[in-house]
Amino acid sequence: MGFLVAGRQSLKMTIAGILQWLESSALASTIRDGLLLFPLLESIHVIGLALVFGTIAIIDLRLLGAASAERPFKRMASDILKWTWAAFALTAVTGALMFITNADVYYHNFYFRTKMLLLVLAGINMASFELTLGRAVHRWDKAPSAPPAGKAVAILSLAIWISVIFAGRLIGFSTSRAKEAAPSPADSSLEELFQTTPGGAGATSNPVPKK
Amino acid sequence: MPSGARLPTALRGVGGIVGSMKPFAEWLSTTSPSVFLQNHNSWAIPAIQSIHIAGIAIVLGSVFMIVLRLLGWAGMDQSLLQTARRFGPWLTGALWLMLATGALMVIGEPVRELITFSFWLKMFLVALATVIAVVFQRSLRKHDRQWEEILVKRGTTKLLAVLTFLIWACIIILGRLIAYDHVWGSWSPAAKA
Repeated sequence: MGFLVAGRQSLKMTIAGILQWLESSALASTIRDGLLLFPLLESIHVIGLALVFGTIAIIDLRLLGAASAERPFKRMASDILKWTWAAFALTAVTGALMFITNADVYYHNFYFRTKMLLLVLAGINMASFELTLGRAVHRWDKAPSAPPAGKAVAILSLAIWISVIFAGRLIGFSTSRAKEAAPSPADSSLEELFQTTPGGAGATSNPVPKK
Repeated sequence: MPSGARLPTALRGVGGIVGSMKPFAEWLSTTSPSVFLQNHNSWAIPAIQSIHIAGIAIVLGSVFMIVLRLLGWAGMDQSLLQTARRFGPWLTGALWLMLATGALMVIGEPVRELITFSFWLKMFLVALATVIAVVFQRSLRKHDRQWEEILVKRGTTKLLAVLTFLIWACIIILGRLIAYDHVWGSWSPAAKA
């Protein structure tokens, strides 16, 4: 048993080492020190996730027969899903770049872990569809909606992705980035704002930008 | 970014108007709906923001499909009119949803939202993008044959389609920048406070 404990201990140390290494990398400190880099990464992340959720919702609504019911499913999927994947790649890259700026905090954050778990669930949900109904698509391709299992996958998909958005927003609310130059107004100043409202709010919340 | 740079006179006027929103924003923050949201901000604000983000996903997704169709990159088994009929109502519905959740966010955090350059530039672009969407769909319904046969093949149409998508992308960026309005330097009304 002793080696198991030791093994777990060394795994923890390895992870801590990796997180530390990520945070202290030149790339991470460049993003942290930039005035605009982090907000722009967040913005591109939102654009990416809007396209991911927007395009997946189109497919899910087709499975449910709620929209585009007259279009063959296969044609729609091949038309749209490549853009979904491209947008997902964009969110993955921008997400990773945000992660490294404060790796240790994000890694231990409850909502971050929840979000990663939800992404895995979304992947499993999608794979289960591809391996079953997706392979027999010719049988229902032109039907106005998918068989019941397909509808279940669609509802699950919509629910999971909305939860992903929610969890993502909560990461921002529950972490504050270590940024000396400009304390993040996004997270930390929320409470400040409310403490000072109604009188004189806002004055304290926006730090003067560095030259 | 232009910290210390001087604004063109017209924009400085806008800045003045935005700055004068402060008494209104402070009054708004004392009203009972605002106080309610402030007292429940730990869940209410993230929840409203998440619905707002789901809304922009529907908006951007719908715009994206119409733009791809105009470019000839997706949905070519559908006519332009069919594409607009499929996504137009979702665009409209999602815009109403965003107006409602956006209003709640302003009520919940009046000073944080209203006393920013980002918010007002965003509102201007939202108005512009909405006008583009309405004009495009009306014109398409009236002159669908002209759109299908001539206009869609024009480079100008494709360029305008891409520009429209970029306006929506800028709207998302500005939405995020409300939380970072200091990046505008002296353009941010909060900098003068």
